[in-house]
Amino acid sequence: MSSENAIEVTDLTKRYDGIIAVGNITFHVKKDEIFGFLGPNGAGKTTTVRLLTGLTRPTSGTIKVAGFDMIRESNNAKEHLGVVPEVSNIYDEVSAWDNLIFAAQLYRVPRDERENRAKELLELFGLYERRTDRAGNFSKGMKRRLTIAAALIHKPGILFLDEPTSGLDVQSSRMIRNLTKDLNKNGATIFLTTHYIEEADQLCQRVAIINQGKIVAVDNPEKLKASVEKHQIIEVSFDQTQNLERKLASLEYSSKVVQVGDKFRLHVRNTSEAVPLLVDFARENGLKIISINTLNPSLEDAFVEMTGLSSEVMATEKEQGKKVASLG
Amino acid sequence: MARAWADSLIKAFYIAKKDAKVYYFKAPNFTYGLLIPVSLYLAFSMAGEINSKLVVAGLTSLVMLFGTTSIEAVAVVLEKQTGTFERLLAAPISLFTIVLGKALAGFFFGLILAAVVLFPLVAVSGTVVMNPLLAVIAIAFTSMAFSALGIIASAYAKWVPEAQMLSNFLRFPMVFLSGTFTALETLPSQLQVVARFLPLTYSVEALRSSVGESAVTYTYILDIVVLALFSIVLLVLSAKILEKRIA
Repeated sequence: MSSENAIEVTDLTKRYDGIIAVGNITFHVKKDEIFGFLGPNGAGKTTTVRLLTGLTRPTSGTIKVAGFDMIRESNNAKEHLGVVPEVSNIYDEVSAWDNLIFAAQLYRVPRDERENRAKELLELFGLYERRTDRAGNFSKGMKRRLTIAAALIHKPGILFLDEPTSGLDVQSSRMIRNLTKDLNKNGATIFLTTHYIEEADQLCQRVAIINQGKIVAVDNPEKLKASVEKHQIIEVSFDQTQNLERKLASLEYSSKVVQVGDKFRLHVRNTSEAVPLLVDFARENGLKIISINTLNPSLEDAFVEMTGLSSEVMATEKEQGKKVASLG
Repeated sequence: MARAWADSLIKAFYIAKKDAKVYYFKAPNFTYGLLIPVSLYLAFSMAGEINSKLVVAGLTSLVMLFGTTSIEAVAVVLEKQTGTFERLLAAPISLFTIVLGKALAGFFFGLILAAVVLFPLVAVSGTVVMNPLLAVIAIAFTSMAFSALGIIASAYAKWVPEAQMLSNFLRFPMVFLSGTFTALETLPSQLQVVARFLPLTYSVEALRSSVGESAVTYTYILDIVVLALFSIVLLVLSAKILEKRIA
């Protein structure tokens, strides 16, 4: 185990009834970094997180967390972990205060520190005034904040955040993103799973992309973006949008067209050649260009290139999955 | 080693305390624990098959059986359904400690239920408990064994109705086969053999010993040892089942 690494994963495989959920993956998370873990639904993200946090056992391979083997020394490893699952898992029947005190007790936080720490965290998350209320009466955003507070009660060195801002309002999302940055500045290693690729791009120093149980890329976001720079992108909007996607897609110089709101993103080989041709296209079709910009490839473009699945599809799948789960 | 055990016990106690707040000390749980045993008692007594001398031990054991297993049987599976069980799994705690903590909550609940039933029963029936200390010991071992019985149903089940079905499958045959309201000797010999595999038989027998005798008998010691073994085996099995479930 390198002292540089908070998490080391080697040849990790997990099979469920003969089906490979995670196949022979190897990667590491450096100490003090925010590490993003991206992938479409069913790619093996959740299984990997469950393996790394000791919630399930691998079929083969090794996991080291804070230098401890997650199988043989799981209690030692877990002492260094804070886990925030995608669905808030606080006890609805007891108060916010009791939830935090119970979490502190599980990690044997000394008695005199427990109450100070609980007070500190409830104040930080804006929940102190509601500390005696049953957590079941909290809004989704408040429950999320309480879940994160419970994961931080023992000051873990490594924090797992699984879709921390999923389904939250803008204010709560921004608060959690800022908090993630602050925790990282104070020395915590963050393992972030998110389907908001932009969020990963803003927060993460390095990102891994998993698809069909295999890691397809691990690098920093800028390098991943650079890897897809063979395509350049022009974003253009016209005074009308009807039937334009099909017409633009048939243009010889455009390899791909994606409609984003009232704008069209054209993947081209060379923007300086494509822009005049696009102006000609507008003139020939009686269209007025409202705006035209060249874009650098985003992390989303890298994601799409590597997984073959658009982030919009991924987000939609995620929401549909939640609706089905809530109906069930 | 001793420190690790002490650490486990303390964490188990915290889990028990939390479970008490979340699941146990609510009015419906007390009434459910009392309602079925009392209904069964009335059914037996109306049929004229009841031996009033046996009622104190039988009814107290039944109340503990129904009271503890009703909630224990769903205590793990409910947490699995709501996702809070993963909070426990993610913490530095062994599965056995989690199981022990859950069983401890049921254990304390069983003690309270036993007190709620035993004192009025003794007063009303005019029964004299010959050795109160032996009665307390029998109640404690009974409560732990029944609590562990509920846990194993909960560890095995994937959802609440399955856990309830399993616990009923374990409980109801015991009511009729363990000599609860009638003497065990009145059962056919084959059923007497079956009764020896059921914890309720030992609970009723131990409580009857403490009510009827002031001295420690060989039967009483054997009953307590068997109840302790039931508890240990059921708790270890529950932890193993959970381990398999999460693998």
